[in-house]
Amino acid sequence: MQLEYIGAFQIVLQVLGRFWPVWLALALVLGVSLHFRKRLGLYGDLFSTGVGIAGVFICLFWLFTAIFSHIIAPFDPLTQVAVMKDALPGAVVPDNGGIYLFGGDKLARDVFSRMVYGSRIVMIIAPFATLFALMVGITLGLPAGYYGGRIDSFLSFLANLVLAFPVILLFYLLVTPEIRELSFDNWFSQLTGIGVAIPRALAAVFFIFPVIFFITLFYTRFKKRPERLYLLLGLTILIGGWVYLGLVFNADPLGIIRIDPNELNIFVAVVFASSPGVFRIVRGLVMDIKTRDYVAAAQTRGETPWYIMLWEVLPNARGPLIVDACLRIGYTTILLGTLGYFGLGLAPESPDWGTAIKDSSRLLRSFIHPALPPVFALMSFVLGLNLLADALREQSLKD
Amino acid sequence: MNEAVKATNIDNAKPIIDIENLSISFFTKRGEIPAVMDFSCKVLPGEAMGIVGESGCGKSTVSLGIMRDLSNVGKIVGGRIRFKGKDMGEMSDEELRSIRGNEIAMIYQEPMASLNPAMKIGQQLMEVPLLHDKVSKEEAYNRALEMVRSVRLPDPERMMRSYPHQLSGGQQQRIVIAMALLSKPALLLLDEPTTALDVTVEAGIVELVKGLGEKFGTSMIFVSHNLGLILETCDKITVMYSGEAVETGSIRDVFDRMRHPYTQGLFRSIPLPGADKNSRPLVAIPGQLPLPHERPKGCNFGPRCHHFVEGVCNADEIPMIPVEGHDNHFSRCVRFNEIDWAALPEGATEKKEPVKPGAPVLKIDDLKKYYKVAANEIFGGGEARTVKANETISFVARESETVAIVGESGCGKSTLAKVLLGLETASSGTVTLGNKDIQSTAIEDRDVGTISSIQMVFQNPFDTLNPSHSVGSQIIRTLEKFGYGKTAGERHQRMLELLDLVKLPRAFATRMPRQLSGGQKQRIGVARAFAGTAKVVVADEPVSALDVSVQAAVTELLMDIQRTNKTTMLFISHDLSVVRYIADRVVVMYLGCIVEQGTTDQIFSPPYHPYTEALLSAIPIADTSVVKKHIVLEGDIPSAMNPPTGCPFQTRCRYKNLVADGLCEKQVPPVKDLGGGHMSLCWLSDDVLATMEPVIRFDIEHAAHEGIPDDAPHGSGPGFVGEAPQRPHGKSASVAAGELGEDAEEDEATMRARRHERRDEGSEPHASDNHSHVAPFSPRTVGEGRQSEDEDVPSAFDRDLPDERKH
Repeated sequence: MQLEYIGAFQIVLQVLGRFWPVWLALALVLGVSLHFRKRLGLYGDLFSTGVGIAGVFICLFWLFTAIFSHIIAPFDPLTQVAVMKDALPGAVVPDNGGIYLFGGDKLARDVFSRMVYGSRIVMIIAPFATLFALMVGITLGLPAGYYGGRIDSFLSFLANLVLAFPVILLFYLLVTPEIRELSFDNWFSQLTGIGVAIPRALAAVFFIFPVIFFITLFYTRFKKRPERLYLLLGLTILIGGWVYLGLVFNADPLGIIRIDPNELNIFVAVVFASSPGVFRIVRGLVMDIKTRDYVAAAQTRGETPWYIMLWEVLPNARGPLIVDACLRIGYTTILLGTLGYFGLGLAPESPDWGTAIKDSSRLLRSFIHPALPPVFALMSFVLGLNLLADALREQSLKD
Repeated sequence: MNEAVKATNIDNAKPIIDIENLSISFFTKRGEIPAVMDFSCKVLPGEAMGIVGESGCGKSTVSLGIMRDLSNVGKIVGGRIRFKGKDMGEMSDEELRSIRGNEIAMIYQEPMASLNPAMKIGQQLMEVPLLHDKVSKEEAYNRALEMVRSVRLPDPERMMRSYPHQLSGGQQQRIVIAMALLSKPALLLLDEPTTALDVTVEAGIVELVKGLGEKFGTSMIFVSHNLGLILETCDKITVMYSGEAVETGSIRDVFDRMRHPYTQGLFRSIPLPGADKNSRPLVAIPGQLPLPHERPKGCNFGPRCHHFVEGVCNADEIPMIPVEGHDNHFSRCVRFNEIDWAALPEGATEKKEPVKPGAPVLKIDDLKKYYKVAANEIFGGGEARTVKANETISFVARESETVAIVGESGCGKSTLAKVLLGLETASSGTVTLGNKDIQSTAIEDRDVGTISSIQMVFQNPFDTLNPSHSVGSQIIRTLEKFGYGKTAGERHQRMLELLDLVKLPRAFATRMPRQLSGGQKQRIGVARAFAGTAKVVVADEPVSALDVSVQAAVTELLMDIQRTNKTTMLFISHDLSVVRYIADRVVVMYLGCIVEQGTTDQIFSPPYHPYTEALLSAIPIADTSVVKKHIVLEGDIPSAMNPPTGCPFQTRCRYKNLVADGLCEKQVPPVKDLGGGHMSLCWLSDDVLATMEPVIRFDIEHAAHEGIPDDAPHGSGPGFVGEAPQRPHGKSASVAAGELGEDAEEDEATMRARRHERRDEGSEPHASDNHSHVAPFSPRTVGEGRQSEDEDVPSAFDRDLPDERKH
């Protein structure tokens, strides 16, 4: 059957048009930010350089694309229209008049819609995994840097072990079914009946860190002001516990928070691989900052070590950490792409960019068009994050 | 000073460098920021010119301008620099390059930053003749070796084979000087060359620099904030203020017959011998340095000047006016003929009761602190070495007394402070605070009472406050820790009272530390230390990082609070001028030991401990009538890791040969009581001690210079024998510091200017842009700033506004 095509100019126009919610949101956010940039601190400062604006623009673009993907994408990412198999960009779907703007892939799905939906997966996993990695890295890096000595030696050794392990091999292991199903046949599973697979066990360990972090944070600060302390601790335990139940045990009583086992694997793997990096940065920063006079001043008024770490040292390490977080989200995105490419983790039909690149690479000689959009998406997003990190670094150096 | 050289070229000599009306501006997105305006000076061959001023006055910009090293945002916008008669503005890049390093050499503050850490000293030195004179390697080596010898470094061959990190700071700076001299420059620019060094090491470098003009015929421009150093090294001086030269002339004229109120203000705010905290306190300069783009019309110093007259001083821009009867003496003041230079500002005669020390508060007995340094921490092994940071420290501090602990870096004074505060525990001995032994109680085991009764004021104002928390919350946290008040409201009230105590406006409570100037930050540090009911406050060089006029204000504040609270203060310092001014008793430390202790009078007059004598001789004193005995110590301070046997000072002591049997090298001397609680750790016999002469004396004849009534009563203070001339020019004149000194600091402009410079490179202003919504800026009428209360002085915070309106 002969397919109808629209012209290249039409394709560009239609693509731009499909992104209308993104343009609207971007215009709104950028306009407001530009207007109030003098009051917005570090974020506002980003708008003083071209690099900063470009970084913010690209990152927000993908963020809004993820949020509005159901509006932007003309097709469901999994819907197959048999006739559109390997269709070239701009092909018109015969039945309903919809257009495969970037063509169809080998399973006759819309490449454009898949790219748009793919951003959702990246936007959920990459920042959150980075956030958890930050939590783990900070919570372990602070005491290592602050106390030094044995604690430092031990934790650094652990970090080195993880760093020395080949990352891809690690991922292979984590997602290999045999390893995944290798459960601890211990008192816990006998007691609860829940088999604890390795990823879930790791998740249980990693996801407890934020809870510990915030409890310590509030406890050290408000020890002497119980009315405030109990409120904050209660909130932390409530929210933390809720998220923990949902993520680790998949047992959210409200049913809002849940995570696909495949995604949990990826999540855990990414946190596992990137927290040693954060750990080292935090440790180095703490070692530097703890020599400052204000830390000595805190010590001489009898502050506890954890108060000093969390309230005196950590806030002053935020600059480099924010920059690192930005870059790290980029690495994580690339990592997700790599995992997808190796077919590790996510379901084979998942629209994430890595999987899409893998699928299209098989037929690269005959059809190049299905490979290009996810590659471009991945590249531009990471580039945006790097630009953002550059601009942040430049701005934070100025003060 | 180089009398010999000068005499030969006094008439016929053409100036090496002749700067005419130089103006330098930095161009930023905020517009042009003038850093130097209308600066003129001439330096003759063999002559040394000192440029002095507080941070941000443009003194370093001048020296960079001469080197034409102004980065890409700085530009010379007016005037001319003629080097050996040639206009540098017309030279090509090629020509400039051949002049830089070859004919004009520059020496910076940080020696380590000027040396390549990856190259041996010899190689680095040889590079100079190899590059500039294209000589053979052998020849280059010989020249380098010769030069290392002439900067008086021990064992020159070994020096040539060393890497920079193997040398001490003083040796590094000597190497840098040697490197600069190797190309036989006609002009040497020294930008604060000794600021990073210890006093006794500084004295050695100063002596070396002094001889340069004579030996090599090199002209020098010596940039410094320290008037005493300028006096010792230079022939002429230019005083700069807010981008302008305000006074220039020969050392004698400017020091003794100053004709600009700012110069006088500077002299009045430094503790010269003769100033006394009770009878003649320091006079700080009121107000603050104007921001570079907000300079007032007319005299820049007008708003802070006691002699300001509306319509005269701010009528028009003021040129440099020659002072009649003085040779080449210029002042940028229109009223200098009308001012009574001997008069003191109002309230200057106010005297304070000397404090009466009460019962002992802090007793330290035979305190020892050893550190074990293992070779490898992770896997153990290696030989553990012991660093003896404190060795048999014993002294007593009484209520409302100020005890100064004096010593150079590495003498163990900071370790002592750590032990007192509980950051470290003592290896042996006792520390008794009130009636409690605290030597082995670490800070986490101390009860709140102990913690709040011994507190500390830190050295670095930029480090003492956490940049992430507001000023108020930091004080409140301290109160909370000390268990003050039941409710948050009570603590807030107390915090505001503490701000009053340190004479800062209450609005500062919500500010972030970066919005405060160095002096203001240090005041917050003081407020924090006195937040509890501190019985003992350890002040670790609290003013050494501040500008001269700010130092005076903070010092006075510290003493005022101490006086009213009857606090015991341990004042740690390396600066004996400040110590003489502030301390009741002095403890001198060297390599972890107390070598001498006694009342201030006892320490500053003979008999001395040999180390104290050298230390006294090393401090540069900005007073032409002071004659110092010249003692320069050989060598460097030994490492505490490997201390010498016997007396700790024996390696550098010049009296060693007067002690029989080489006792100094064999045995630690006994603590000798010289009477009246004056203790000295020395083998010298009483008759040797009796022959010691005072280090600092006043030259009576010199006092006969202009303006001093012959019958003037010669006052005397601690620390010198003979009579002090009364200085009619008011150098040590005094005023009730409480009245004038309150807001006398504010070097915010300085920092801001620095930040401008930095920002210029990266472009883009931002900083406190987010305050544009705060109260409208009300322009201050010129002259109103004098003696105003803090609240009236537009703070640096508000001063940002006009900037922001520009863009």
